[in-house]
Amino acid sequence: MTLTATKRVSAYSMHIYLPIAEMSANVLLFLGMGCAVGFLSGLFGVGGGFLMTPLLIFSGIPTAVAVGTGAAQIVAASVSGAVAQYRRNNVDIKMGVVLLAGGVVGSVIGVKMVRILRMAGQFDLFVALAYVTFLGVIGTLMLIESASAIQAARSGAPRARRQPGQHSWIHKLPFKMRFHRSKLYISALPPLMIGAFVGFLGAIMGAGGGFIMVPAMIYLLRVPTNVVVGTSLFQIVFVSAVTTVMQASENYSVDVVLALLLIVSGVVGAQYGAAAGARLKGEQLRLLLAALVLLVCIRIGWDLVVTPPELFSITTSLGAPE
Amino acid sequence: MTRRWIALSVVFAALAAVAAPAHAAPSEPSATSREAAPARAASPNIELAQRPRKPLPGKPPAGAPKESVEADVSSRTIAVTSGFTGTEIVVFGSVVNSRQTSAEAGYYDVVVVLEAMATPLLARRKSNVAGLWVNTTSVGFEGAPSYYAIVSTRPIEEIADEDLLERHAIGLDFVRLAPAARSAIETQASDLKAFKEAVVRLKQKEGLYIKADYGVIFIGQSLFRSSITLPANVPVGPLTARVYLFREGELLSTFSSRVKFEREGIELWLYRFAMRQPVLYGLFAVFVAVAAGLIASTVFRRRDAA
Repeated sequence: MTLTATKRVSAYSMHIYLPIAEMSANVLLFLGMGCAVGFLSGLFGVGGGFLMTPLLIFSGIPTAVAVGTGAAQIVAASVSGAVAQYRRNNVDIKMGVVLLAGGVVGSVIGVKMVRILRMAGQFDLFVALAYVTFLGVIGTLMLIESASAIQAARSGAPRARRQPGQHSWIHKLPFKMRFHRSKLYISALPPLMIGAFVGFLGAIMGAGGGFIMVPAMIYLLRVPTNVVVGTSLFQIVFVSAVTTVMQASENYSVDVVLALLLIVSGVVGAQYGAAAGARLKGEQLRLLLAALVLLVCIRIGWDLVVTPPELFSITTSLGAPE
Repeated sequence: MTRRWIALSVVFAALAAVAAPAHAAPSEPSATSREAAPARAASPNIELAQRPRKPLPGKPPAGAPKESVEADVSSRTIAVTSGFTGTEIVVFGSVVNSRQTSAEAGYYDVVVVLEAMATPLLARRKSNVAGLWVNTTSVGFEGAPSYYAIVSTRPIEEIADEDLLERHAIGLDFVRLAPAARSAIETQASDLKAFKEAVVRLKQKEGLYIKADYGVIFIGQSLFRSSITLPANVPVGPLTARVYLFREGELLSTFSSRVKFEREGIELWLYRFAMRQPVLYGLFAVFVAVAAGLIASTVFRRRDAA
């Protein structure tokens, strides 16, 4: 005997089931999110990982899955740029490899750290603190810099150029290497350490780390500006690829379906962003980006200090094999 | 120009999402329609139950055949495919040797419990440490059903006494939550109770623990049916449907049936791939990302140039 019950099938079933996050996601929501972050990353010339991961977490994706999937999304977002820069000979391969070597070490440590923090129940807190710290510092610095640049442009006064600091301690370090493309003869240790630090952060925060890598290369290593972007993209592609594999194998937290949604919409959004960015002045762009970075920082920080409506939380053993 | 406006509005949408409070964020439009379903099913009976109940006929005559319950589920296999957005499971059955005169008589009470496998679970409590809200205490549970739905002909407190309900794990107050050995020793009884309540409360909030007091409807003298929502966020795994037949607080008969709830097609393939060959899956994810990134950018650039 069969009982026939009327089944309500929703007419607008724009949902897709995410196999790793184990939830049904609204396709339009995530496409829009990818598009928006892509637009901003195209507009400001940043990777967008630092925006994507918090957005994913806010929209209900488990933190670990957001971070793991973020790594895959960064690979996709950076790869076409890296290829283009490589064709234009803007990549210092040797420097990139040294940064990469550090990055892989940092990423391995970071992924292990994610595992330990998840078991201790402090992963979400750590991610939030890392975001608040880095976005706060970088946002504030950018805000000050761009505001003074805009003011200087308005008053017409010649802006006081930053004095090149004497980084003599960097030149005293051992293991000196010659980086032909960057016209540098420096120790391999600083790039290794910068690479490791950025790789570590990438694994923890689900961000490529370009927003730390680029200033570090310019101000600490004194790499010529034309080589900085290409080399940093080159490094980010490979470190994110390693991080993706590590997150998948250690934490089972990479959702390919979610990544694909974000990748495709992100690439499309980035094209519009780049077109819009060409119409704005550099310092205006930096001011906007600084405001955005600080907004995300405040939003994340808010949850840490305001009394939460629910003090309890539950976690199931997400990511454990069957 | 229009392109720019479209792009800008998308940005604003994203900023609005950032500004929205985190706990309100996972608002899928379908969630409301899903939750509305059991309420609709229950509404015809609410009126009924509030009416004073007819005096029940006395004890059944000695030697009369004993009542029992038989039941089944509308679909014994539920497949999770990429389009899965949750479903509804109809549990129906009949009372064998029913002495009920009509569907409205209220002679019997039926309780249906649909439950998923118990999985380990960790509950944590935040407290304020130096101005920040940090997870400080935790209680591990060896097994907590990842999904638990209870529907009945009327509120279960009216159907049977607590001991009976507890013995059969009927009702959200009596969901079997066994604390892990270590947590059981280390945690105070009052704390343990608070944690248990929190687990049920949070699961209810996620739509994974469901209760519908008037969700079982008698259609005739012996036939009854109930419809139970299975939301899309239920962790995939086998389900058990348990049906209890009560009369005047006495458990007359039980029946149970299994529901297969499993991934199918590409969902199954991806999940198995990710869990069984995680390194290969990671490489696959990188390959997909590289390919998608390159293809999407070339496709888009070509169109832009044309």
